[in-house]
Amino acid sequence: MNQCWRDLAISFALICSTNAVAQADSLTGEQLYDIACSACHSLAHTPDHHIGPPLGGLLDRPAGAVEGYRYSEALRNSSWRWSLPTLVAWLADPDTAIPNNAMNYVNPMTAEETQRLGEWLLGES
Amino acid sequence: MTSTLTRRRLLHGSLAGIAAGLSGGCAKHRSGRKAVVVGAGLSGLNAALILERWGFEVQVIEARERVGGRIWTLDALPGSPEGGGNVMGANYGRVLKAAHDLQVPLRSPPRTLPSDYFVDGQRIARDDWASAEANPLPDAWRSIPPSRLMGKLNASNPLLQTRAWHDPTLMASDTSALSGLSALGFPDAAIRLIGANNSYGNNLDETSLMSLYRVMGEFGRLSGPALAVKEATKGNMRLPEAMAGQLARPIEMGSPVTAVHQSSSATRVTLASGETVDADAVIMPLPLPALRRIDMSLPASQTTLLETVDYHKVVQLHCIVEAPFWERAGWGGSWWTDNLLGRIFTRPIPGTSRFNMTVWINGDDCDALNAMDEATCIDRISRALWDLMPDAREATSVGQLVRWSNDPFAGGVWALWRPGQAATAHAALRAPVGRVFFAGEHTAEAYRGMEGAMESGERAALEVMRLLA
Ligand SMILES: Cc1cc2nc3c(=O)[nH]c(=O)nc-3n(C[C@H](O)[C@H](O)[C@H](O)COP(=O)(O)OP(=O)(O)OC[C@H]3O[C@@H](n4cnc5c(N)ncnc54)[C@H](O)[C@@H]3O)c2cc1C
Ligand code: HEC
Repeated sequence: MNQCWRDLAISFALICSTNAVAQADSLTGEQLYDIACSACHSLAHTPDHHIGPPLGGLLDRPAGAVEGYRYSEALRNSSWRWSLPTLVAWLADPDTAIPNNAMNYVNPMTAEETQRLGEWLLGES
Repeated sequence: MTSTLTRRRLLHGSLAGIAAGLSGGCAKHRSGRKAVVVGAGLSGLNAALILERWGFEVQVIEARERVGGRIWTLDALPGSPEGGGNVMGANYGRVLKAAHDLQVPLRSPPRTLPSDYFVDGQRIARDDWASAEANPLPDAWRSIPPSRLMGKLNASNPLLQTRAWHDPTLMASDTSALSGLSALGFPDAAIRLIGANNSYGNNLDETSLMSLYRVMGEFGRLSGPALAVKEATKGNMRLPEAMAGQLARPIEMGSPVTAVHQSSSATRVTLASGETVDADAVIMPLPLPALRRIDMSLPASQTTLLETVDYHKVVQLHCIVEAPFWERAGWGGSWWTDNLLGRIFTRPIPGTSRFNMTVWINGDDCDALNAMDEATCIDRISRALWDLMPDAREATSVGQLVRWSNDPFAGGVWALWRPGQAATAHAALRAPVGRVFFAGEHTAEAYRGMEGAMESGERAALEVMRLLA
């Protein structure tokens, strides 16, 4: 056991150190959706409401249109329609896109990740 | 500590380490997919569950003998009152989803009894507040109950965007709440009452006005039916317990982490027992006072911040009441005071004739209480209680004293930002350092409290997955 600890200490000292750690940035759209959206939305095509409305069938859907969900007035009256560009704009900064919406969300993803997530979500739906 | 497991892992780690060392390069740590999460609060548990879901090996290490951190149900007391996080907001999407998925039943909290006022040594019935002689407010303000005064801030709230509360441009005009409220025309008496029971600062002088705008803006948005808050029927701690139960690998309980070190390709976490655990990444989802105690060799800028961010002070005395003695005198049962007692929240224990009565003291008034030994502190608060309600002496028994600032694994209730501080501190404190990632309530963007903790765990899991994917 003692030998083992000593080897470990030595090997640690040998590992070279740099501050920058390479970022793989290869998360899939599905992973990104799971981490960043799935707690508040479902992928259902039916009115399966969580804190947010379901995102199934999102492509070409008018904003604020799922039956039975209590949207903010801002989203309901936005006359937005969901497509890759509108979805990416919404996620990049929901407050600027549609002021006074109720999503209360600050996007932790990079622009590329947001794009990848959007492609996956719209393809999925 | 499961020492066999640890030893086997150590051996594995050492061989891999030697291989990396001998190859002389920066070869990636072999399995490359192991993360350690230090602390089993909501943020750490949420991060751990996401990482496990995507096939990462996760080891959660918890200092205490219980999970949940700042969620702490006092299960030994009748009514199981909450010593920590109380209510789940109606818009807490992540918390509510986790409770739903893990079948942790929720309910609307039993109603807290109506609150009367004890101001300037005078007891004032809630219906008499506006006309009471002891109400120190000028005419236009007299009908506003003390607990609602801060809400007047929303008339001038500049925070229109979720992340604006730490926006450097807006922060340039941030001031202390004391001078800010005064400049906005709040009467001195109102400022004094706001300061008496302010959950978002220890004193108004060191509290950021912008941080008060943030909180008030949230409450303002949550109007109407959205105010329907929830709690876990059997205690909020059932939620982190259920989350912990989902983990593939049992949590190492009772194992305070004392140091975290890293090379370019690996991290090593040292426990108080002297044992070490190696991984490819570490998440530190800890309140800052607990983080300060861990040796981490952080950049100087971050270390300085760790020292300067303040934490909210709360002392609670949880009492059990046998009978509603206040009814005879016509009082409501709860109190809002401007003296040592702070606020007293009383609520029925469902299915019984008893009540939980919690004395909730916050801010700098806690300093003297935190310095006393436990018996003296309980005695001090009890005497103040009996002065306010002499009948309480017979009908009330002390259940438990909770002093969050004295708890080495919390060090306070939540992060407080000094005037202007959030402009730089918030981003700096959540920035990863190599393979070490930070989470916890204080690093959240959109939410505070329990939902903020969950939100921050998501972000940290994302960062770790980017690194290790
Ligand atoms: C009195 C009180 C009332 C509150 N009321 C509300 C409310 O009504 N609504 C709301 O939303 N929020 C409320 N909150 C806030 C909410 O409880 C917290 O924001 C949330 O639980 C924080 O979670 P966290 O994961 O960020 O941190 P924590 O829960 O503090 O988790 C950190 C974990 O790390 C562990 N740890 C610390 N040091 C070490 C170490 N060296 N080694 C290993 N482990 C360590 C701790 O034991 C703990 O388990 C309240 C909090 C308190 C204290
Ligand atoms: C904290 C909970 C939460 C998270 C996390 C969240 N959302 Fe939302 N989302 C909401 C809420 C609430 C609404 C309704 C907003 C309103 O009514 O103004 C919403 C609305 C939407 C809408 C509009 C739907 C419609 O029917 O018009 C889209 C699109 C959307 N979200 C996508 C996403 C995506 C993609 C993610 C992940 C990157 C995400 N959301 C993360 C809560 C959340």
